[in-house]
Amino acid sequence: MAAGLRTVILLSFVLAVGFLLIILSCALWQNWLPLLVALTFVLAPLPNAVFAHCGSDEFGSSYDSSSPAVDFGRFLTAIIVVTGFALPIILAHSDVINSKAAIMSIAGGGLVYGTILAYSAAFSQEESDYD
Amino acid sequence: MSLPRANYDPRRVCLNPFPEFTLGKHKRTIGVYLAGALFAIANWAFLDAAILSAHSKNPWGQPGNEDPPVHVTFVDWIPGICSLLGYLVINLIDKDRIRGDEGFGDSRAVWRARLFLFIGFALMAGGLAGSVTVLILKYVLNNYPEQFTYYGYANVSQSVLMMLSAIVLWIGQNTSSEYEYNLTL
Repeated sequence: MAAGLRTVILLSFVLAVGFLLIILSCALWQNWLPLLVALTFVLAPLPNAVFAHCGSDEFGSSYDSSSPAVDFGRFLTAIIVVTGFALPIILAHSDVINSKAAIMSIAGGGLVYGTILAYSAAFSQEESDYD
Repeated sequence: MSLPRANYDPRRVCLNPFPEFTLGKHKRTIGVYLAGALFAIANWAFLDAAILSAHSKNPWGQPGNEDPPVHVTFVDWIPGICSLLGYLVINLIDKDRIRGDEGFGDSRAVWRARLFLFIGFALMAGGLAGSVTVLILKYVLNNYPEQFTYYGYANVSQSVLMMLSAIVLWIGQNTSSEYEYNLTL
């Protein structure tokens, strides 16, 4: 698939905007707890990447790879993604951070995670088109 | 007059319904993701109440007031822990072994797996009942204001959402195998 240079530039731009929003939400109120959101969303694709190679090399016949390890990786991914969205809401709910900072960090985290998803969707189809 | 013949062993106390949906080939993936999301929402709903309680210190209402009358203590954590243990027990059981018609040889293994499944469901139901108990006995009956009964409602919603997550995971893990089975035949 010809995902060219333009895609890379666009995605890196979006990633930079996402990190800008997160860091701005920390720096404007001198409260650096929303930086955890960036860490969470960066960690989010990790379980899928780790567990994707577990147990799916037996026969290769099952199209929808249904090994328990892969399921566990997806489960962990969903937990981490929801954590990334829930953490600023909860911190804002108990007045640890400002609510505007929460909104900015959620938007930034969404942009960062969307970038990761779009990047893996655009560039993983070259080697194999499963999933 | 005779009863109609059942297609299951009538000595069994609890039957495990395995609903068969074939809604698509990505059903299992969606189910697992949805279950994880529900699980996270459940636990964050309760942790929200705990963090809120930990941060509602002295000046919670008018200045010069006393400490808030009630806090989230370890009693509030017990139903969630029960639900979590039940969740783990339910999902650690091999589903084919519960079904028992695969010819595993040892029929007592099937019996034991069903016993553990029952323990898991009992732990989850106990967590739900315990959370409702905490809500009523600790918060509603003492006539705390809305701000504090929220802790109890968060506790109940944690148990309910964890049950929903277990159900979604159960259904999602069972459907895909049926689908593939039909596909390969």
